[in-house]
Amino acid sequence: MLEIKDLHVEVEGEGIEILKGVNLTVNKGEIHAIMGPNGSGKSTLAKIVAGHPEYEVSKGDILYNGESILELDPDERAHAGVFLAFQYPVEVPGVTNNTLLRESYNTIAASRGREELDPLEFDDYLRDKLELVDMNPDFLERSVNAGFSGGEKKRNEIFQMAVLEPTLSLLDETDSGLDIDALRIVADGINKLHGEDDAVVLITHYQRLLNYIVPDHVHVMIGGKIVKSGGKELAIELEEKGYDWLETHATVNGEAK
Amino acid sequence: MALATRIEPSILHKLAKYAPESENSVWTEIRTKSLKELNSTAFPHRKIEEWIFTDLRPIVRTDFVPLEEAGTFPATDIEKYFIPESDRSRLVFINGKFHEKYSSIGGLGKGVTVGNLADHSDEEEVQKYLNNLVNYENDVFVQYNGLMFEDGAYIHLEKGAKAEAPIQVLNLYTDAKNPFVATPRMLVVSEEESDVTIIEDHIGLGENRYMTIPVCEVKVKERAHIHHVRIQRDSIDAIHVSRPIAYVEKNSEYHSYTITLGAKLTRNEPRVIQEDEEVDFTLDGLVLIDGEQIADTHSVMDHRFSHADSHQLHKVVVNGKAHSIFNGKIFVRRDAQKIDSFQENRNLLLSEDGLVNTKPQLEIFADDVLCSHGATIGQLDPEEVFYLQSRGMTEEKAKEVLTYAFALETIENVKVESVHKLLIDEVYRYTKANSESKVTV
Ligand SMILES: Nc1ncnc2c1ncn2[C@@H]1O[C@H](COP(=O)(O)OP(=O)(O)OP(=O)(O)O)[C@@H](O)[C@H]1O
Ligand SMILES: [Mg+2]
Repeated sequence: MLEIKDLHVEVEGEGIEILKGVNLTVNKGEIHAIMGPNGSGKSTLAKIVAGHPEYEVSKGDILYNGESILELDPDERAHAGVFLAFQYPVEVPGVTNNTLLRESYNTIAASRGREELDPLEFDDYLRDKLELVDMNPDFLERSVNAGFSGGEKKRNEIFQMAVLEPTLSLLDETDSGLDIDALRIVADGINKLHGEDDAVVLITHYQRLLNYIVPDHVHVMIGGKIVKSGGKELAIELEEKGYDWLETHATVNGEAK
Repeated sequence: MALATRIEPSILHKLAKYAPESENSVWTEIRTKSLKELNSTAFPHRKIEEWIFTDLRPIVRTDFVPLEEAGTFPATDIEKYFIPESDRSRLVFINGKFHEKYSSIGGLGKGVTVGNLADHSDEEEVQKYLNNLVNYENDVFVQYNGLMFEDGAYIHLEKGAKAEAPIQVLNLYTDAKNPFVATPRMLVVSEEESDVTIIEDHIGLGENRYMTIPVCEVKVKERAHIHHVRIQRDSIDAIHVSRPIAYVEKNSEYHSYTITLGAKLTRNEPRVIQEDEEVDFTLDGLVLIDGEQIADTHSVMDHRFSHADSHQLHKVVVNGKAHSIFNGKIFVRRDAQKIDSFQENRNLLLSEDGLVNTKPQLEIFADDVLCSHGATIGQLDPEEVFYLQSRGMTEEKAKEVLTYAFALETIENVKVESVHKLLIDEVYRYTKANSESKVTV
């Protein structure tokens, strides 16, 4: 579903290289976890897949369902089924959650050849999805993320994911900021949404999340590269040992190159 | 008169000789006084501080003619501008002249008088307040209006009277062969404990050049409430120079919302003057401009007594080569304590060639006051655009939604439903038109 090949990414126009040759393959039905120290490039990877204009691919490619998506605008990628849950969800004062979701749902539905829902049907549809993440319907009439608490913003991201039904979900630190109960609820929601035909990439700092959402593969990103991949045990090992033992490895690799 | 000879006569000075005659002593007195002042007042220019940013060439370079010689076309299809809530509380003026046949004034209940000023010249309030509330020293526009106006809107509420419907004051300007000057006039006197909503609408029916100089005087007496919506939808080549002024008495409220959409050049000078303690007033504005439009707001909120709550949110969206100017003066006089005053001018600049000048101006002579004020000039936030795009909206749609959201805040408080809806449509039209032209983040 997603193939990232020797991806080098710079900050647009500034020549600062952030990703230095990332390789990653995600297949249908899989859950991947990406871990790694602060500033290692995890969010950048998620954003470049979603098409953030601040970054530029200087080398390599991103294939989605076998085709390069580098030339697609962020909305075209969303139409194709890519979804990014932001590490820092953006506040959009004046645009209600309801407006955003109706607009998004219908454009995505139209581009995928699905029926648009009329307002009443859409309301029912939203209610179901709200239940999935145990969110109060009052949030529908509030401006997107404006004045939401940190945890509410994260929950709102997963609510949007539930509504838009993406095929590739990139969830950037969705667990950060959630209380213990919320973490369980959101994790349950993600598990319910995940099926054979879609894939999830989780970015997280905590092994705890992975007790709820069990990954098929765990990757460690350091210094703009994936330096190690493994099964879910790798997360436990990282929890115990930290990243030091891998960082030397990364540097050696870097110099060798 | 020696002074008069030194003044370079402007087009307004030149047109003064066409001032109408009146057998009515109130009007005659106003005209005599206005003419005298006009003769000794110079037309503004950019070397004067208050006019430093404002390009007056659209006025100076136009050969305006008297209305009678303008070759105006008839006003047709005007019913579509009638708001349903004011079905029986509407005054219609075409190029400043009252039109009884389009007006309708039966639906306001007891104690409310609505009509043409010229038909109410005998009334005490007219004699007392007309031309006595407006006080723009050295202001040729006010003087010219005083010299020329014959008709006008008159709204009077007796003590305790509550207008049962919003009053629509509809000012229409027709297409014409030659550019003309119109001088709409308005006097609102709201006695103790009365309550009224006024929708003042200015609409250009063609795309022609004309100049309108509306002067509006409002007196809000003790415990009275006024909700005043002013919509400027003049022709795209028009000039709109307006002077609305409100005096607010003890425990009264005056809330005004000005929406500026049309005209090549707008100069709006709203003023609110506090006359006693415990008042609450609003002077909000929304300006949506494009092309080569110039929209200038010079406002005054004058706190002269203690305990005032005042609010001014002035939002501006600039596209194309348009130019917005804002100067908001807040005065707090020496003995005016416990003032809570909010002022903010937020500008959204959609194009590289747009221009914004903003100057909040606080002059505070009291010590126990809370004044927050600020001005921002910004573009659409690229992170917000990306966020919406990542949810499937096209870049154009995302920008449209964000611009719309920015503008909407100022009209949320307009409480007449059809007007609120009409304004939403206007905002929508503007954002839509702009997302179709080139917009840069
Ligand atoms: N626009 C930018 N301009 C300059 N540097 C940037 C920009 N965006 C990202 N970076 C830098 O790139 C590096 C990677 O950032 P990124 O946000 O991808 O890290 P991360 O792995 O998600 O970290 P965290 O775990 O703290 O969220 C950081 O050093 C960051 O400062
Ligand atoms: Mg990050």
